[in-house]
Amino acid sequence: MVQTRKLKDGSRQVILNGAQYDGITRVLSELANKTKASAILFADMSGQLISQRGNTENMNTTVLSALAASDFAATSEMAKLVGEEAKFKLLFHEGEKRNVYLSNVGDSFFLVVVFDVSVTLGLIRIDTKKAIEDLNTILEDDSQAAGEEDKLIDSDFSSLLGDALDDTFK
Amino acid sequence: MFINWALQEINLKIVYYGPGMSGKTSNLEYIHSKLDPSLTGELVSLKTKEDRTIFFDFMQIEVGKIKGKKPKFNLYTVPGQVYYASSRKVILNGVDGIVFVADSQPHRMEANIETLLDLESNLKADGHSLESFPWVIQYNKRDLPGVESVDVLQKKLNFFDVPSFEGVAVKGEGVFNTLKSVINLVVQNVQDQL
Repeated sequence: MVQTRKLKDGSRQVILNGAQYDGITRVLSELANKTKASAILFADMSGQLISQRGNTENMNTTVLSALAASDFAATSEMAKLVGEEAKFKLLFHEGEKRNVYLSNVGDSFFLVVVFDVSVTLGLIRIDTKKAIEDLNTILEDDSQAAGEEDKLIDSDFSSLLGDALDDTFK
Repeated sequence: MFINWALQEINLKIVYYGPGMSGKTSNLEYIHSKLDPSLTGELVSLKTKEDRTIFFDFMQIEVGKIKGKKPKFNLYTVPGQVYYASSRKVILNGVDGIVFVADSQPHRMEANIETLLDLESNLKADGHSLESFPWVIQYNKRDLPGVESVDVLQKKLNFFDVPSFEGVAVKGEGVFNTLKSVINLVVQNVQDQL
């Protein structure tokens, strides 16, 4: 599983190791090749972009991830209001030139597939479903759990960050 | 907090919370206008026709590499209006630190308290509590005539004695100090718990 730690104050820390990141990027590449999707994003439910593939140079994918996460959040509230007990699993936005297909990956992550209207939705659905299975397998594999995270944020880091903030906020 | 080892990235989510029209969006707009464009992304605002935040504002800022790691800060605001309670709740998902932007005008005291209680109940639903969560208060609009004294604001709102700042967000006063303080609290918090 992706390393998730709960801190004393209740906040959540999610740690993705190198092998998982490489695996996720590989699945995204395969999906991009198979579906001819214009762009594919993998992000976590708090809106954090994790990996992307496809033609994303002219797309603000950081913002797209934040908006997609809130899309999920808003529709899960909608689900409650209409008496659906689980969350909606997938969201689909249909446009004139492009469509966006969003699907959750477990409870904490989701996939965004942006594709031209010329690509069949059925194909996207089938290939995305397979990709989600692969992603779940990768996220559940903790054989390569990172060991260095304990040293990540020490007092040295805090004071250097403080200096960097002073510099940035001059 | 989201840590990506492959990219050496540390991502933090900071949410600006507070009653309607208290200046949450103004805080972000000021930060966006002052930072070097290479360090900040686009400021996205989901606003109504009346210019009120309907869902959230979002912006990502960076400060360069620190010990080989790249910290990124994702700043969000929530809509202050009571009828957007649902969107406030969902934006708190995965939050690491909170800035409570209070309106210093006496007639907004009730709205401040109400929103603070709403924040506490949303945090509780996620297993957090204001008592132990990293958060700071900004008493905004200090330039307006007849504002409440800081002493009174402290007594009524700052019951956990968190760091507090006086601000005039539209002019940038107190904006960076507030943000710096909440980031330091979050980092300190993580450090203490490792």
